[in-house]
Amino acid sequence: MLDKIMKTQLFAWVDKRTGAEAIIKSQLTEYPAPKNLNYMWNFGSLALLVLVLQIITGIFLVMYYKPSAEATLGGFTVAFDSVERIMRDVNFGWLIRYMHAVGASMFFVVVYLHIGRGMYYGSFKAPRELLWIVGVVILLIMQGAAFFGYLLPWGQMSFWGATVITNLFGAIPVVGELVSELLRGGFAVGDPTLNRFFSLHYLFPLLLVAIVGGHVHALHVVHSNNPEGIDLHKPEEMIPFHPYYTIKDAFGVAVFLLFYCYIVFFNPQMGGYFIEVDNYVPANNLQTPAHIAPVWYLTPWYTILRSFESKLLGVAAMGASLGILFLLPFLCKSAVRSARYRPMYQIMVIMFFVDVIILGYCGHTATTPVLKVVGQLATAYYFLFFVALPFLPKFEKTRPVPEGI
Amino acid sequence: MTDQADQSRRNFLYVAAGGLGAVAAGATAIPFIGSMMPAADTLAAAKTEFDVSTVEAGQMVTIQWQGKPVFVVHRTAEQLKQLDGHDESLKDMNSEAIAEVQQPWMDTPEKRKFRAIKPEYLIVVASCTHLGCIPLFKPSAGRKEWGDSVPDDWPGGWHCPCHGSYYDISARVINGSPAPHNLHVMPYKYSSDTIVVIG
Repeated sequence: MLDKIMKTQLFAWVDKRTGAEAIIKSQLTEYPAPKNLNYMWNFGSLALLVLVLQIITGIFLVMYYKPSAEATLGGFTVAFDSVERIMRDVNFGWLIRYMHAVGASMFFVVVYLHIGRGMYYGSFKAPRELLWIVGVVILLIMQGAAFFGYLLPWGQMSFWGATVITNLFGAIPVVGELVSELLRGGFAVGDPTLNRFFSLHYLFPLLLVAIVGGHVHALHVVHSNNPEGIDLHKPEEMIPFHPYYTIKDAFGVAVFLLFYCYIVFFNPQMGGYFIEVDNYVPANNLQTPAHIAPVWYLTPWYTILRSFESKLLGVAAMGASLGILFLLPFLCKSAVRSARYRPMYQIMVIMFFVDVIILGYCGHTATTPVLKVVGQLATAYYFLFFVALPFLPKFEKTRPVPEGI
Repeated sequence: MTDQADQSRRNFLYVAAGGLGAVAAGATAIPFIGSMMPAADTLAAAKTEFDVSTVEAGQMVTIQWQGKPVFVVHRTAEQLKQLDGHDESLKDMNSEAIAEVQQPWMDTPEKRKFRAIKPEYLIVVASCTHLGCIPLFKPSAGRKEWGDSVPDDWPGGWHCPCHGSYYDISARVINGSPAPHNLHVMPYKYSSDTIVVIG
């Protein structure tokens, strides 16, 4: 069908002025992709879909949302009220709000699976180091956007979560207090904070669009890795991206939408994980909720933060846990990419995934002495994983890697 | 390579999948575009109450209804007489052109001239039917008060400052004006002798 369009006169007119045919050929119809990619390779396109969904639902929400912490009659605020108005009075407002809130969590589900694929199959190794690094930048911007967005409903969890995180920066020596004040626009989280977080929440996803463009460009230069982790040279090992992976991605989108729509229509709160119970209570700056925790997708880093007695050490460790991701391509010195052929790395990386889940669990649950120790052990393994990587090739007996696929 | 049977099945699948995709995309667009329609609380603010006895004889007030300006004029008997004698100069003397300039209670020629349930109180939307400016109230006939800004056979009424449309004192548009229609009459009723409910 695409070739029928490309034969029309209209297309020839557009192509003469844009070079569209060359682009379509080089990026789609003649773009070589390994023929053995499994479904773990679907998550990149799914992440792009969710980004687009978030932007569209976000734009429509902004038509009614008001970023003001000013009080209204009845002890509420303009911002909180505007969200309730969207839920009750705006036509289909409830749907757009649920799509956006559920979409935020699904964005992280998809991206974490995408990252997991990269770690397991060695997609971060040469020549894809910069691709991985741009990806880590995307993760950080996503976390920022989610954090800013979470303040906007101005519920109890919004307010107190923002208070905790902006106070964190105060731990940084010398500039810490200044940074906190700069973020908050005042001495405590308040109306100035809300307004600037709204501006930044609008900005970050649009920055993401540009950076994702860079991410895909970097990918298209070095081409995709594959589950075997080997470099593919023979033409019969490759298939054109269009139509094979466009249709496979479309199928992945359909399955994703099935899950997504089930959640949006039948269980948007997901037991308080996607939309937290405490956030249905309007923010009260004189009363902290019994149990503050960030949203589930930020909990692993919360545990790392809380594992240290010293506030500064906790902040440093949290920063280091994100920073060390940038170093992964340079820490891993193995000649073999895919965990399929690296028995020690395979165990270690699976343990790493389990470790992050444990970190997440500890971050979300109220601290007990046992959980605190579990969190500390999990934090230790998190860093141990990266520190051990350069030494692995000395001990690991890699399995023989196939010649082709 | 692919025989004709294969190709027609392929085409069928393309058309079926593409058609379903288009239906799905359309269905997805509905809630988003729908959310841009006025929300429930906006629609609830659709009625305004006003006590006409607060308007003195010969006086005009401008009130709000659904965010729009509305003229309430308490016309004197003399001003009502200014409605006769210039029928040929009116674009739509019986307010028949469009639905917005008439109401079901305009069932006699006299009602169509006075354009009000109670002739002394004219209630019309104060938005010039050309491009929406609020016309200036110039009730007295002739040029004595208004000078050259009105024609020399001025019957009294409104003059729009933006592009020069003229209306008589029943807000009926006069020939030569850029405005196409009389000022709109909205649904209203008297809930008591002096309280009018607009909307």
